Amino acid sequence: MCRSPHDSPRPRNYLLALLSLLLMTITAAADQSGKPVWDVKAAGHLLSRTSFSASPEEAARLAALPLDRAVQQLLDEAAAAKPPKRPSWVRDQWINGGRRWSDMSAEEYLIILRRNSARNRAELADLKAWWLQQMMDTKAPLREQMTLFWHGHFTSGTNKVFNLSQGFYQQNETWRKYALGNFRDFLEAVTLDPAMMAYLDLERSNKTHPNENYARELMELFTLGVGNYTEKDVQEVARALTGWTLDAPPGTVIVKRPTAPDRLVFPSITREGLVPTFVPQWHDDGVKRIFGKSGRFGLKEVLDVIVAQPACGRHLAGKLIAYFGAHDPEGKLRERMAEAFRSSKYEIRPMLEVLFTAPEFYALEARGNQIKGPVRLLIGACRDLRLEVKATPTLAQFTALLGQELFNPPTVKGWPSGKSWITASTLALRCRLGEMLLDGKEITGTEPLGRQRLMALSQNPQEAAATTKRLLEIDAERAEMEKKDGIQVRFDADRLVAAKMADNPEKLVDALLERMVVTKVRSLTRLTLIDACAGVPAADRPALAIRLILASPEYQLE
Amino acid sequence: MTYLFDRRRFNRVLGLTALSATVPTFLYKTGAILAGDAQRGIAPLPGLKDNHVLVLVQLAGGNDGLNTLIPYRDDAYYKARPKISIAADKVLKLDDRLGLHPEMVELHRLYKDGGLTIVTNVGYPNPNRSHFASMDIWETASPSHRIGRTGWIGRYFDNECTGVPGAMLGLRLGEQQALTFVGERSRTATFANPAVLDASVSRAAAKGLEKLSDIEPTGISALDFVQRTKNETRTLAQRLRSAVCDNKSPIDYPPFALCQSLKLVAQMIAAEIPTRVFYVTHGGFDTHSAQANRHAGLLQELSQALSLFQRDLKARGHLDRVLLLTFSEFGRRIEENRQAGTDHGTANVMFLLGGHVNPGIHGTPPDLGHRDEQGDLIFKIDFRAVYAGVLRDWLHADPTRVLNGKFDPAPVVKI
Repeated sequence: MCRSPHDSPRPRNYLLALLSLLLMTITAAADQSGKPVWDVKAAGHLLSRTSFSASPEEAARLAALPLDRAVQQLLDEAAAAKPPKRPSWVRDQWINGGRRWSDMSAEEYLIILRRNSARNRAELADLKAWWLQQMMDTKAPLREQMTLFWHGHFTSGTNKVFNLSQGFYQQNETWRKYALGNFRDFLEAVTLDPAMMAYLDLERSNKTHPNENYARELMELFTLGVGNYTEKDVQEVARALTGWTLDAPPGTVIVKRPTAPDRLVFPSITREGLVPTFVPQWHDDGVKRIFGKSGRFGLKEVLDVIVAQPACGRHLAGKLIAYFGAHDPEGKLRERMAEAFRSSKYEIRPMLEVLFTAPEFYALEARGNQIKGPVRLLIGACRDLRLEVKATPTLAQFTALLGQELFNPPTVKGWPSGKSWITASTLALRCRLGEMLLDGKEITGTEPLGRQRLMALSQNPQEAAATTKRLLEIDAERAEMEKKDGIQVRFDADRLVAAKMADNPEKLVDALLERMVVTKVRSLTRLTLIDACAGVPAADRPALAIRLILASPEYQLE
Repeated sequence: MTYLFDRRRFNRVLGLTALSATVPTFLYKTGAILAGDAQRGIAPLPGLKDNHVLVLVQLAGGNDGLNTLIPYRDDAYYKARPKISIAADKVLKLDDRLGLHPEMVELHRLYKDGGLTIVTNVGYPNPNRSHFASMDIWETASPSHRIGRTGWIGRYFDNECTGVPGAMLGLRLGEQQALTFVGERSRTATFANPAVLDASVSRAAAKGLEKLSDIEPTGISALDFVQRTKNETRTLAQRLRSAVCDNKSPIDYPPFALCQSLKLVAQMIAAEIPTRVFYVTHGGFDTHSAQANRHAGLLQELSQALSLFQRDLKARGHLDRVLLLTFSEFGRRIEENRQAGTDHGTANVMFLLGGHVNPGIHGTPPDLGHRDEQGDLIFKIDFRAVYAGVLRDWLHADPTRVLNGKFDPAPVVKI
């Protein structure tokens, strides 16, 4: 492959680039009163960050309103969104079907465990697809964006909590319910959320052995941030939160049957149900001293004390700014958001109002300069292309491969953001998005290098080899099951551009770039697309141009 | 269908890269190295004093050091852990006080053969018990009250590898870039499986995709970052594919994650790719509840993976070039918790292996009789002293230019 003369940028385009640079420097993002300039571009920016996608039609509709009204409308729609219909397997009253009793033979238990694990796996795979479908179809995308934000903030993951698909559904429902509501109420629901209690070991934390895991993350990650509490505070909060566990729904007939041997006390095989329950005799009701206040604190008092710390609003504001993106080098926006949080008695929505109307949010430095997260990328592409999609487990697997598996963040800190999304392998995969969305093909070459060992194998090499073989067979079955629905998409170029537009490659490319890209388009990208389109029959042009846009560096940005 | 790259086109692509004025010089130079290293006898990284390689194995989640290297004569150990302690007759004994977990058979053998270094009581002053803060402290080698934003290996690349060309001095197998590698300049690559780099596309799109990987600076920082990564990935793909295809393993590794990661690292070392430091992760050590079986599995995987890696490199004649070390953000508390697990603690154990390790146990057994105010172990060897030893004696670098402060290099490498 050699460089032909017309591959090099033409002088005309240098001039164009220079002109647009000049234009960029004289078009300020805010007028002299400090208010952001509100136009179609600004509306597109707001939509791209809050609604997964920014179609020209939607941006024009929003830009016709004054900024304050437009933001109110967006937030009203998000707040009013009706909860989606539950997946069919979710139950009103969950009773653990995977209990292990001490009088059970190993074989008997193995059958139960396998059946239970298979069901849970299928349900979790369905749950991921179910949520992606909500995000693709919803009329109030900001509600889903906020639910995703909280999922990354208040994390729980299936890598630690086994066989609890019901719990992860319930958590998603709760996070969605409080997504724009009152943070103090939310925090109480979080603390007593079954999947969270299992994930951070609050379940069965007892006065003789208070478990510090939840207490620490509550302050370090969920509310205050490192440096705003002491090691002693962690221990005292842990004491205050003892006594809570998960129990059977009221009215359940409890089977009188001895439970499994103590050595094997996995909560997943010993808990009866998922109802958060307070057991007074497990609670440490002594005096605790937290942030300089003393008292016989329990759950509610501890949460009251924590949200009232000045660090709480600042911590949340910082996280929201990092998620939605804004240029706030001096932290002034963060302070204004924290103030809105405090003065509203810990409401979430006022913080978003301040953010989405802030000059820092619309600053030129912030425009088109944020790397899309994997879920944002996938949902955005489906919405941008107006695809008919049935979300399947295979489709959901794509975001996992890009580093964002729903219901399974890599650590309790949630997902990283920004540049961390981009590595050699994730970028290579992102650029193959078209294989999936345009061709309906599964992406190949993505299996992990190896599986987790989970437990020690026998020291006898033959036995170990036999177990390994069986594990690999199980993996193969699972992979087959997860793939069985494949990729179900239908792409129709006519829904995006009029058929006759394809006759003119330049017009076609410009229209598609306008629709799909929010950041600056490199002249090399535009010229590459036009050249590529000129080389194929008109009927093939829209799909080719879209495939290249999906693979471009520009498409990775919002 | 056609691969974006193949061998025949590779050099021509590099020629094209050299013509492009927008590509930074170091990338062009990387290309030159990649093209030339097929010839035998050329050091992987010209400009360095040696052809050594460092492999970092991160034990993520906080490995329970007391159940890894067990003080099996200490009653205080058994008293603190009525449910999860390892019985003295099960322990794989190293000397009359310390032994390894029963699942670490292979490392026990390696120790007996004089191929394993164990450093005890490793930690730092004012230990932080947060996973993230403490892992950041280990990765950045900063004091616990002021965590820096660059990694210790990133600073080593910045300060001690200035004349060395290369865009993949550091290579991480995993999903996200390691903080250890973060420096002023990005000279590292991250991927989970090299097969994903093999995009297959239709002929019509191939030419366009190729050109989209060129660089045109925009002044938008995130966009320029994506462009650079895309450009580097294009070069990387070919090199890794041939490393894997041309260097089949002489021994079998089980199909588990750490084993397979180290198998791939061994292939890349044998291929002499221009990488100085590899980074792999073995996760799942955050054993707050029912830890016995899970921890046994984790240690079995660690033991098998490390010893297979050692044998593999020895068979290929590359062991003398390699030093591997394990690290974890903290050990766990001395006392077990109510759920038959352990919470976040402090000082911990490190393992090193390779052709030139100074074998044996460095340091004293954990002292359960003297605890800090939280009731946890008190560290005796600063992890930065171990880093200093690795930097000075293995990478032939000046530790003071990499670490914040002066640390007496631990004698972990034979000089």
